[in-house]
Amino acid sequence: MRQPIFALIDCNNFFVSCERLFRPDLENKPVVVMSSGDGCVVARSNEAKALGIPMGAPVYKWRQFFKDNRVVQFSGNFELYGDISRRITDVLASVTPQIEVYSVDESFLGLSELKIDDYRAWGRAVRDKIWQWIGIPVSVGVAPTKTLAKLAANHAKVHPALNSVLSLSPLPPQPERQRERFILSHSTAKNRVRIFPSDSVKGLSFHAWLRATPVQEVWGVGWRLAPRLQAEGVHDALQLSQLRPQHAQQLMGIHGRQLVAELNGLSCYPLEREGKAQKSIARTRTFGEDTGDIGSLEAALASFAAKAAFRLRVDHQLARRAGVFATTNKHKPGYQVWRRETYFPVPTADTGKLIASVVDLFHKFYNPHVKYHRAGVWLQDFVPVDHLQTDVFGSVNVAAEGRSKARMQTLDSINERFGRGKIRYAAEALGNKWEPKHRLRSPRYVTRWNELPVVHTLK
Amino acid sequence: MYYENTDGVSVHEGFPNPATDTSLQSLDLNTLLITHTATTYLMRMSGDEWQILGIFGGDIVIVDRSINAQPNDLVVWTKADRFTLSYKHTVDESTAVWGVITATIHQFRKAQR
Repeated sequence: MRQPIFALIDCNNFFVSCERLFRPDLENKPVVVMSSGDGCVVARSNEAKALGIPMGAPVYKWRQFFKDNRVVQFSGNFELYGDISRRITDVLASVTPQIEVYSVDESFLGLSELKIDDYRAWGRAVRDKIWQWIGIPVSVGVAPTKTLAKLAANHAKVHPALNSVLSLSPLPPQPERQRERFILSHSTAKNRVRIFPSDSVKGLSFHAWLRATPVQEVWGVGWRLAPRLQAEGVHDALQLSQLRPQHAQQLMGIHGRQLVAELNGLSCYPLEREGKAQKSIARTRTFGEDTGDIGSLEAALASFAAKAAFRLRVDHQLARRAGVFATTNKHKPGYQVWRRETYFPVPTADTGKLIASVVDLFHKFYNPHVKYHRAGVWLQDFVPVDHLQTDVFGSVNVAAEGRSKARMQTLDSINERFGRGKIRYAAEALGNKWEPKHRLRSPRYVTRWNELPVVHTLK
Repeated sequence: MYYENTDGVSVHEGFPNPATDTSLQSLDLNTLLITHTATTYLMRMSGDEWQILGIFGGDIVIVDRSINAQPNDLVVWTKADRFTLSYKHTVDESTAVWGVITATIHQFRKAQR
């Protein structure tokens, strides 16, 4: 078998880059994109990062700062980002069908089937192609494992000298002494892979950079595992790579052992080619203004339930569990969170049934004197539509389920034809207060005929 | 048509009904106007400055970014922070071209939906 090799193609400040594509005047200016509902910052241009605006900054706290520093703000234009993301995927899929779309702005490519002599040159060609053809800047990391490819792409992104591309190529057994040799492997690993960075940044080798990478920034560590590692004295990526496999397994389970192997160049995570069936679906939102109005709240929750149910049906799944949560404003005194969930003996994707349950759940904790800031609906515990099982008492009402399914298909096909949300359940249409303010949203340049970018005349 | 094939089996072969041929497709304007769907963007022309080329205000401008601009191509480029249209050879060398115009669409009547 060929030695596995992966590339991570990571879009730089993706949402901001999408906005800039049609707004050349925004080059070199600080730009932020806000979550739907304008709750917090979800993307920042490099200029905005340099001003010290953190990811997730609550917008209402930063409004004056944005004004003072002429930061250009956008409400999220998710139709635009989704369309540009699909275009990038299409171009990458023409490079190789070995592609895993990891998120809206990141894709892994499997390169072992391709004949590539120089991975750095290959990475630069991909970077240039996406830039010229789509108009979005990307960073490329190439490495023998997905975890290393992700680290390489991050490294390439933050060091301008690398020009957005870093390859950590596995080299043939004979070491070339002249080159900067870089062995991540702990001496216990038998078939260790020697890894050679294609470039080193002056004054900061990849080795040193790993040491400077906090352990929670390694793919797959995150906020949950990081404290456990830090308690063991593992604070950076280099220390993590030097952890004994058994020790890693004790700390993090089998996933930890794989993680350490991945950092040492032994691939454990293959490309996941199938579109991952989601394990849960959530629809949540921060309200335009905090509200205790039962009508607006019910309408919002009903709408979330309808959207989640639609997604469920697209995936051909039924849910066994549905839940509701609501919170007050985290940044105000007396912050509180409420959650309730329910179980369906007969799994369902029926919008009507889900709305009814969700509204019922909400009434279990609703208090008219509370100003709710954020709320959401989640669906969990899915079964495929084809495997509709009866519960232990065999109480599926086949005729009723059949009717429900037919009704849902009608609803979905009408919505597909005339636009999402043309047909709604009555509860959904009650209020508008909760609808996000799209005041700062850019035109939907690529998805609406009446919002196309304009070619001006010179006169 | 009636004939006997070499196996001695008789075959009746009428004129095939083209409507049952699943590979048959009506003409689709996308295949005429858009070669690279991933790299093609649509824009809207403003103003009648380019009437002489048959491009009017309100027309749809089809722009493909994957084409290398030749001197006689019409291109979209950025001037004073706005998109504008010119022949490639008239655009300053140092200016990046946004994309090559492959077609424009002029509608005499808006399609009724």
